[in-house]
Amino acid sequence: MRTYERPVLLARAIASVQLQKFTDWELVIVNNGGQQAGVDAVVRTAMNATPSGSIRVIHLSERVGMEEASNRGLADSDSEFFVIHDDDDSWDARFLEVAVAALRSSPNAVAVVTGVTRIYETFRGGTVWPVSHENFPLSRGRLTYRGMIGGNTFPPIAAVFRRSVLNTAGNFDSSLPVLGDWEFNLRAVVAGEFQFVPERLAHYHTRTPESDAVSGNSITIGEDLHRDVKLQLQDRWLKEPAVNGVNKGALSIAAAAEALTGELQVKTPIVHVDIEHIANRTAEIIKLQRSSRRIARSVRHPGHGIRAVVGAVRRTIGK
Amino acid sequence: MTVQLTAEQVLDEHPQASVLTIDFFDTLITRSVAQPTHVFAVMEQHLVASHGDFWRGFAVARVEAEQRARHNAASENEHRDVTFDEIVDQLAQQLHLARADGDMLMTLERDTELQLVQAVPFGAAITEAARARGLRVLVVSDNYMPATHLLQMAHRAGYSWITEADIFVSCEHDGMKHNGMLWPVVLSALNVPAGSILHVGDDARADGEVPTSLGITTYVRDTMRTSHRDMINTAPAVLPLSRIEAQYRNAMDDTHWDVAEVVGGGLVAMIVAAQVIDAHFVVGHRSVAGVHFAARDGYLAYQVWNSLRSRGWELPEATYTAFSRSVVWRACLSELTRDNVGRFVGDDEVLTVARLERRVGCALDSQLDRDAPIDASTARDIVLDNVDAVLLASNSLRTRLLTYLTSHEVLLSGHHIVVDLGWTGSTIADLAELVASESGDLAVLEGRLTGLYWEATPQRMRIAMHGFAMDEFGSTDDNVRLLGVIKLLEALVTAPHGSVVDYEEDGTPIFVETAPELRAYEAMMRQVGNAAVRGALAILDGTHPSGVTAVDITKESVWAAIMQVGHSPRADEIELLSHVNHVTSIDHEGNGRPLIAVAPTEPSKVTLEDLPGMYDTLIHRHWLQGSLRALANNADSRWIADEMYKLHTMTSPRWVP
Repeated sequence: MRTYERPVLLARAIASVQLQKFTDWELVIVNNGGQQAGVDAVVRTAMNATPSGSIRVIHLSERVGMEEASNRGLADSDSEFFVIHDDDDSWDARFLEVAVAALRSSPNAVAVVTGVTRIYETFRGGTVWPVSHENFPLSRGRLTYRGMIGGNTFPPIAAVFRRSVLNTAGNFDSSLPVLGDWEFNLRAVVAGEFQFVPERLAHYHTRTPESDAVSGNSITIGEDLHRDVKLQLQDRWLKEPAVNGVNKGALSIAAAAEALTGELQVKTPIVHVDIEHIANRTAEIIKLQRSSRRIARSVRHPGHGIRAVVGAVRRTIGK
Repeated sequence: MTVQLTAEQVLDEHPQASVLTIDFFDTLITRSVAQPTHVFAVMEQHLVASHGDFWRGFAVARVEAEQRARHNAASENEHRDVTFDEIVDQLAQQLHLARADGDMLMTLERDTELQLVQAVPFGAAITEAARARGLRVLVVSDNYMPATHLLQMAHRAGYSWITEADIFVSCEHDGMKHNGMLWPVVLSALNVPAGSILHVGDDARADGEVPTSLGITTYVRDTMRTSHRDMINTAPAVLPLSRIEAQYRNAMDDTHWDVAEVVGGGLVAMIVAAQVIDAHFVVGHRSVAGVHFAARDGYLAYQVWNSLRSRGWELPEATYTAFSRSVVWRACLSELTRDNVGRFVGDDEVLTVARLERRVGCALDSQLDRDAPIDASTARDIVLDNVDAVLLASNSLRTRLLTYLTSHEVLLSGHHIVVDLGWTGSTIADLAELVASESGDLAVLEGRLTGLYWEATPQRMRIAMHGFAMDEFGSTDDNVRLLGVIKLLEALVTAPHGSVVDYEEDGTPIFVETAPELRAYEAMMRQVGNAAVRGALAILDGTHPSGVTAVDITKESVWAAIMQVGHSPRADEIELLSHVNHVTSIDHEGNGRPLIAVAPTEPSKVTLEDLPGMYDTLIHRHWLQGSLRALANNADSRWIADEMYKLHTMTSPRWVP
């Protein structure tokens, strides 16, 4: 689990692991150059109530890329399977149980990907609340090499990998600032099949534009960066020798263009409906929050260790 | 109280009858679940266990397949009933099943019906009495199962005297009781005048109005329907509550449906059992310095915990720890500004200076008459004008609270768990910070909560906590549903005494009793609480007559129980709870607010523009789903509920995905 200065979301992400029905897990948190005390406090709080699994923290003194952070975590563990759990995402309690069972029953598979619910949420002033959710489009076809070559088709939170795939596909590419998961997936899917479990057991959380910037998703904050890196990767692949007469870069460009055409043809009305829906739900939930806040806003004493570290989280809503 | 006629009394009232015809499902036989569609939930449980996750959601798919098959059959011939084959064909299309799978499902459904079937006590009594009087007894049923299968079910339920020739079922005769087309078949076969038939059934139209119009004498008895809810909400998780309610239905068949007993022994018993199971789990896996059941949410569980100890269970001694949202907040108050003064005075409150003084715990310097009504803005200004006195009072309260917590060993070094209903966990988090601060971080509190709303997320970095029935990782809709039922559960899972509003100098808690709470307690909450404790104990020690045990009390089944009552309540539950007021003000004075919102006096004058404001009020001040259902149950206000269901889809009665 990679994290950087998002203690509230980190606390939620850890809880999502702790709540798994599958209990034989090991969580390695890579604090990617953020303040140590804050992460330690959150982990200490969480570990006070963990009957299963184990949690370890690797504090990196300087911030490195997301993929390097993943590699550091992988190097510090030796489990049979692994997941890259971003600190803002979460799982249904059955995620690991189902995914591990699927991997164990499919020896040729190098990964299992479950269905994904995308949750739009607003994060402001240390408080997070849901606005809406939707089904993330995913299918067996989108987990094949041809399905993935045009663009990233699923978030890391949805996938469990067999560790042995690292021996054939290699580690995450530390040179990539973003899209490292896509690039890795394309190498991994050559090494073996990705199994698909349609049940929506992974929650991919996306912050709405009204959220505090520090809580933002890499994909929504850095859309230009994603576009640039994708072009760089395609350029890199164009220089690679063709396999069976097919060049990876050319295939990716063609697939991306095809996907874009398809999106343009069908997406306009859907986008219109979704935006309206999300706007309505946002207004509704915010209204609820305001009212709830009036009723239940609290001011607590200073002095607790965690609060000293994360001073921004001073007011919460609730009972 | 309505006492049902006995079988002999019914027959005595109809001495002319020479033939007794009786409806099959829910009159002659029933199942050991609360409603027919829960049979499919039992099937889904078996399918998932035997054949894997593909079958999750089967129960709902089965309901939908039958609805489509019925629609298609009616389109073709409005008089005939649907057949079992047609339903399974629809299911096979929906789930892309092979023929062999369809055959397997038909066999499984028949086997499951046979496994769950049981005689209805009244059905058994009246058929036995009729036969003893020399009446011919026949079964007349609207159903898609063939007579051969109904015969098997009847025999399994103990009606060994029934033969296939005694059964008339709609799917075999191109006509139904409901539309009157089956009755001519029955009359023709019997060759007796309609006036010599007494028909008994549970459907007001099919077993009452229609045969009566043909000259048949009828007796409608629908007691087996009392436990029905929305048919679509069926999944394995509903089964524990379903079995408990089915057991109550059977036991109350010849008396009356005692709603308070059923709500207490059903939903509340499951929540209480869950609280105890969760605390038991923790103390069995970790070293725990203290188990604290939070007042008032933990009162019932505390009774159960102590009863189990007295029965020899190896459980550590627990405490019943009295704190409330308001005393913890006041005790932790270190600054008072216009930002947080709203906690003392709600936006729409009208107070007096005297009442305000009781809220803040000190005398307030003001030129106003102490007993004159003042609005919220004025009240807040008075509090802010007296900020030093208020903070001093809070500090004093903090000392008394700490005295109390010390006497309850909450400040002992080590890891403590606090059992509470939950929702956001902020009160326990506030308390945890107070305890940590006072103990030098030696005493650590963990929240073990029944449900956690989305706003729990920030609290997770302050305190370790787990939600038993729901965590905030559920869908948006489930989070809103939970928010809608919070008021109901706070009212149901409670103690005989009022909320704590302060402590004596020696730490003795001061509880405040309110008139509405006392009235509700005497009227029904005492019974709800007693039934809950009895039910939870029976579940935990494995003696519950429904067969539900601790193994059945899971996050999913507790959530499903909360949703069955809280989100899709029956009319009888709404009627029961319409007398309950929820008192939430910081001083716990006043009448509070009714759980079920009072309907607009002139629903026709409500406009669409009013609905967003109404929704906001319902979800924050009342039991949202119960209030909507109450509106829907009234013809004049039904349109308001319908519009709400459309506007806020998560409030619609369906909650099983």
